[in-house]
Amino acid sequence: MRELDFANVRKSYASPAGDRLLALDDFTLTVDSGRFVTVVGPSGCGKTTLLRMAAGLVPPDPGGAIRLDGEPLVVPSPKMSMVFQGIGLMPWKSIFDNVALGLKLQAHRPKLTEEERERIAATLALVGLTGFERYYPHQLSGGMQQRVGLARALVRQPEILLMDEPFGALDAQTRTVLQDELLTLWGRIKSTVLFITHDLDEAIYLSDRVVIMSRRPGRIKQVLDVSLPRPRFSYDARAEPEFARLRQIAWQSIKEEL
Amino acid sequence: MSQSSLPLEPAKAPGGAMSLLGAIGRSTAAMLVLSGVGFLVLWQVISMNVPPVILPAPADVIAAFIALTASGELVGATLATIWPFAIGLVLGFIIGTVMGLLLGIFRPAARVLDPYIFVGWSIPNIAWLPLFIAWFGVGNLTLVIFVFISAVFPQLLTVEAGAKEADSFLVEVARSLGGTKREILYNVVLPSSLPYIIAGLRIAVGRALVGIIVGQLLIVATGIGYMFQFYGETLSLAKYFAPLIVIAVLAILLNRGVNWAERFFIPWKTRAFT
Repeated sequence: MRELDFANVRKSYASPAGDRLLALDDFTLTVDSGRFVTVVGPSGCGKTTLLRMAAGLVPPDPGGAIRLDGEPLVVPSPKMSMVFQGIGLMPWKSIFDNVALGLKLQAHRPKLTEEERERIAATLALVGLTGFERYYPHQLSGGMQQRVGLARALVRQPEILLMDEPFGALDAQTRTVLQDELLTLWGRIKSTVLFITHDLDEAIYLSDRVVIMSRRPGRIKQVLDVSLPRPRFSYDARAEPEFARLRQIAWQSIKEEL
Repeated sequence: MSQSSLPLEPAKAPGGAMSLLGAIGRSTAAMLVLSGVGFLVLWQVISMNVPPVILPAPADVIAAFIALTASGELVGATLATIWPFAIGLVLGFIIGTVMGLLLGIFRPAARVLDPYIFVGWSIPNIAWLPLFIAWFGVGNLTLVIFVFISAVFPQLLTVEAGAKEADSFLVEVARSLGGTKREILYNVVLPSSLPYIIAGLRIAVGRALVGIIVGQLLIVATGIGYMFQFYGETLSLAKYFAPLIVIAVLAILLNRGVNWAERFFIPWKTRAFT
């Protein structure tokens, strides 16, 4: 099992005025094992806060709990990987070493085993970056850099993949290509995915389930199940009537929150 | 057939001189040689128009340099200078770097220690000297400590500033991957501070050079520093220039070393101006 469970999760921050600002309120959701779940919502609805809590980077307010396979999650888990919109590659590390960092910080060992070196090479091949091992991040395009970010996450063979608007900073064409690549990769690794985006088309295209948030303080407003058959890149899923129907519902729902 | 009847041939006579100047302009080595020759010519011209006690001729300086080298005086003074300089600088670099990194990370400790460090940095080095002589006597130990004090503060302050500025996003990325504080220090804070460590070293080298010369002048009366004092006070200006040349060469070599370290340790850095 690799199930991510949120129970009555709240998060508030100290505001500049001195009182508490509620970012996320009473978030209860179970991300079932092996499913692709996306959270969409207007900016400021606490999406990123939710993911940072899921990653164990910040704790939820007392009273709420996040559980991974039934165990309370309090610190970053080696079973998880997170992919960031800002990517966050170390500028001083080569592509190979950036991917290796994902393993080293998971195993807490400064040296790689031969098996791990092979796994890094295989993961780089998976994201189409064979031959770029010795490049530095600044020598790569934005799309290639996010492939490295993906490789750094996947090399850990995560049971849960957390993705915070990973394609948000990319141009439309690159984004479409990477969405299909992500679905291909996910088809192989079958990990549980919690994905954040503000792009409705992206949410519907990628997910089994789309969670629509209200504006701040973010609450779950609506949950949509997407039944479009997979693999969705094998046909024009975006042109299906079902896609248009879901998009219409989601847009109506989110429009009220803007 | 005259040359002008070959329309396809580029005009050569004016272009020849121009392209030679252009080639020199593009060659850094040629520019360096040219400026060196110009400097010597200027020096020669000025020295011919003032008494030798104001400015000796380049030839006299070279002769004095050779004589002082042959007698062993210059070599001995250089060695007596380099050892305390190197020990003080290396100690200042290591301790300044380690303390700077730690204070950059452990901010509560830094908030307590920063005022002392700032005072230590702000007080002119020379003001410490009587105190050091009283504590450690007149000898090489005091000299090493004086060089160390000169180097450690700029190194510490520069590295602390760099470590403090480590990208919080990259630290969060490393945390999300499971990094412990020690792993984050090694994988994020240390490499992102490398440009500052090198910048600190550049300042520390300069400060340590001043420290060693002042120290030799005022504490031990040996080495390059003492040569400045002795030949300066006796107005033997041709000889006075010999230790000056040694220090200039030493400074250039050290700067080259720092440049090399910068390229070696920070290959990922893109430069706006080359």
